[in-house]
Amino acid sequence: MKRSYVGVAVLAFILFLNIIFTQYMVHQFFYENYVNTLIFCGLNIVLFPIALFAYKKMKNVKA
Amino acid sequence: MPSDKNNKIPFNEDNYTHNIERNNERKLDRRGFMKTLAGAAGVFAVSSLPWGAVAAKELMGLGEKEYPHKKITDVSKLAVGDSLEFKFPGDHDDAIIIRLNENKYVAYQNACTHLRCPVFWVKEQNQMVCPCHHGFFDAETGAPTAGPPRRPLPEIQVKVENGAIYAVRVKRYEA
Repeated sequence: MKRSYVGVAVLAFILFLNIIFTQYMVHQFFYENYVNTLIFCGLNIVLFPIALFAYKKMKNVKA
Repeated sequence: MPSDKNNKIPFNEDNYTHNIERNNERKLDRRGFMKTLAGAAGVFAVSSLPWGAVAAKELMGLGEKEYPHKKITDVSKLAVGDSLEFKFPGDHDDAIIIRLNENKYVAYQNACTHLRCPVFWVKEQNQMVCPCHHGFFDAETGAPTAGPPRRPLPEIQVKVENGAIYAVRVKRYEA
């Protein structure tokens, strides 16, 4: 059975973005740029449904 | 293939961990890995929430706490260039007020930001001095100018009303 690993790559990229946004969020918080903190918080939250969607789309994809 | 293993208890098998090798339950396959990644995204999303909440709270100005106004002294009792020690906001929070000119008052919590020694106003040098380790602070802003302290003194906002000086609130301590 051949599998497609596109989904794994997409989800790994989403996790990568999560790490970046979290890092930015924390740093902007300590620099007291609270608007930027809120933006990155929102991006982090938006990534979760995207990740769920990607998982549902990709879990049964075969190459 | 029929097996009579189950009819012998304990059955004869040279494998002490037979009960964990069942249906590949310890194997992380592609789908399980994707599920883990999606779950990690969820953990990230949930853990961002408190940061967003605190940032929103700061933006809405809820962090600026106003203490009950406390009378420090009368204007007539504090000459220009003089200072006075008082307590604000609590009874054990030392603070100092300096009258820089006729209408300008500055007040700080006077625990040195180095090791919390009391900071004094030295009129002759026109600056605040921490005698413990020779830390110096600018009286206009509370910023450290020399010595070990690196952080400014927390400023106290004051208000003059009917010839008396009141302490209103403490500005955020910049860590």
